[in-house]
Amino acid sequence: MLTIKYFGMMAEVAGCDEERLALNETNFSNLILVLHEKYNIQKLAVQVAVNRKIRKQCENFRLKDNDEIAVLPPFSGG
Amino acid sequence: MKKVFIEGAIQPGFVAQAIAKHQSKKNIGAHNIFLGQIRADEVDGKEVTAITYSAYEEMAREKMHEIREDAFTKFNLTCMHIYHSLGEIKAGEVCFFVFVSSKRRKEVYEATEYLVNRVKSEVPIFGKEVFASKEFQWKVNT
Repeated sequence: MLTIKYFGMMAEVAGCDEERLALNETNFSNLILVLHEKYNIQKLAVQVAVNRKIRKQCENFRLKDNDEIAVLPPFSGG
Repeated sequence: MKKVFIEGAIQPGFVAQAIAKHQSKKNIGAHNIFLGQIRADEVDGKEVTAITYSAYEEMAREKMHEIREDAFTKFNLTCMHIYHSLGEIKAGEVCFFVFVSSKRRKEVYEATEYLVNRVKSEVPIFGKEVFASKEFQWKVNT
């Protein structure tokens, strides 16, 4: 099980700040696929961070249970 | 890591105190300050009355640290302070405070611009524009 954090507009879309997801294959491209299916994230211009670093959605690598995953809408500080 | 976030608006007195604290640092010859203020934008005939800020704080602190380190490498600075508000900040209040000090003025102008641009584009802070009717929309930096 992976824990996914949602922020800003993405927390509204998901209806929660955080959720646990079980993936068939615990890798990044599978996670992106699940997020696309669940929340249509390609339409939302979100970025996905793993352990507080933004990763490109075309990348693929293994995810670990304790990885910190966050889905981030466009930044608007300042 | 340095404190970055302040709950609520950044008060004018806080800025004044920050200036006062540097009067003992006599190698400084130039300060530059940027203050971001909430603008009462009009969107489809409705006026923005406040912005509610939230952040992915753990990542924001790491990113802010990286930006500070980069700025110290790039510019000849004596010190640097960056603060951003969280929570609801009303139109006319200050939500972002960048304070840069150096021996001479050239460096502080460039460093301020560099810091403001990087914080706006790279730090995961999210603003929700609130209208008088309590409707809202998510802000996107342009």
